[in-house]
Amino acid sequence: MSVVQKHRLIASLLVYNGDVVQTRRFRPTNNVGSAFTAVDFFNGWTVDEIIVLEISKDDEHRARFEEIVEGLSRRCFVPLTVGGKIRDLERVRAYTRAGADKVAVNTAALERPALIGEIAERFGNQCVVVSIDARRNAEMPSGYEAVADRGRQPSGRDARAWAEEAARLGAGEILLNEIEHDGDKRGYDLDLVRLISDAVSIPVIAFGGVANWDHLVEGVRRGHAHAVAAGNIFHYTEHSTKKAKEHMAAAGLPVRGTTFYKVAMPRRPSYRPF
Amino acid sequence: MSADRRVAVIDYGLANIRSVVNALNCFDVDVTVVDNGAGLSDAGRIVLPGVGSFDAGMRGLRERGHLEALQRRVMAAGVPYLGICLGMQFLFDGSAEGSAAGLGWVKGKVKRFPSGNGQPKVPHVGWNEVEIRPSTELMAPLESRTDFYFVHSYYAPLADTEAIATGICDYGVRFCAALERDNIAAVQFHPEKSQLGGMKLLETFLQADG
Repeated sequence: MSVVQKHRLIASLLVYNGDVVQTRRFRPTNNVGSAFTAVDFFNGWTVDEIIVLEISKDDEHRARFEEIVEGLSRRCFVPLTVGGKIRDLERVRAYTRAGADKVAVNTAALERPALIGEIAERFGNQCVVVSIDARRNAEMPSGYEAVADRGRQPSGRDARAWAEEAARLGAGEILLNEIEHDGDKRGYDLDLVRLISDAVSIPVIAFGGVANWDHLVEGVRRGHAHAVAAGNIFHYTEHSTKKAKEHMAAAGLPVRGTTFYKVAMPRRPSYRPF
Repeated sequence: MSADRRVAVIDYGLANIRSVVNALNCFDVDVTVVDNGAGLSDAGRIVLPGVGSFDAGMRGLRERGHLEALQRRVMAAGVPYLGICLGMQFLFDGSAEGSAAGLGWVKGKVKRFPSGNGQPKVPHVGWNEVEIRPSTELMAPLESRTDFYFVHSYYAPLADTEAIATGICDYGVRFCAALERDNIAAVQFHPEKSQLGGMKLLETFLQADG
């Protein structure tokens, strides 16, 4: 029997040198402030998950990033996926200790695919999100290549073959972005999203390029994505995640209800300007 | 009578209890992480979170003296108890996951979701809708269908819980997602990861008269 799975709306935060940034084609464009402000602003209690990725060039900001994750886990009561600079289980442990429910791996998994299985074995498949940054490349069988190191380093791997291998090695989900679409406000690369979603049986999260709520609906309807993520768009629109969710529901997609329960949380950490 | 503010969260060494502690800490209560049974003696409410395997969990509870303390405080003294995930499964006689005896407070045995052709994937991970039976104080504030976040491979069968189930979920099989009997409440889902619906449930548990 089939079970109706609800389509998740995921908010993503990109953290560069300790601050949340917006990006375009994988390069930080502008600083939108602290992760806590961002989350308090877009939380609205309607997002289904939060993904936070560390995208600094080097690892100098690790301690600050782990503090951010810890701070997020004190105020966000949804599953939290954390990624960036994961090369081994030690970093996975550090992130889960800081409050991550799942971790996202990218470059290190391309270099050493066995890492996926190692994390899955220790923490469970549901803990491993394989993040794939793809770029069109006509020489690849699927027309897309997986790119490492925040879009800097072509891996030589076909994006679809890599997604299939990642799933086989124990990935629980795939987070999928297309470099040219990132921050480009054209919506997801629906050809890519559909290509990967149809190729694997694990959930695919579409990410990159959302500029209006219809893009989220397209990601599911035309891209066959299981879940849809966005970052930039949520930062400047008030109640944005609620509007996004309502738009998805109005379009007929099964989504988690957005009933607002009044809950008094006198000691929930609140925004502290610093 | 005002609600007792002293909340003990049981640590048996294997589960990541941070999220549960973070969630409880949003409320006006004093949360103590208790790593041995003696620590439960003055708790006004007891929360047992849990992930991991059933046998290892029961062994952890026994080795740290939690089993006797739970028996004394929850079963004999009637202190309100909330079990989360594995903390629900421990209530039963045992589990298909292992051979250890459970607490045995609820008759029956925890089962594994069937896997294979046509069955939904195991583990059951993600948001799923729970049919709420709003007959209890704890469930009354929730809508008749509320989404909660699940991560599990084993479930409490309705056959054993029909009379005490307060929430039912469908994942290929209909199973008991929440139950209540006297001072004992337990949920298979993670209220601490279930946004406002989950926080509402925790708030209600913490405010109920003990």
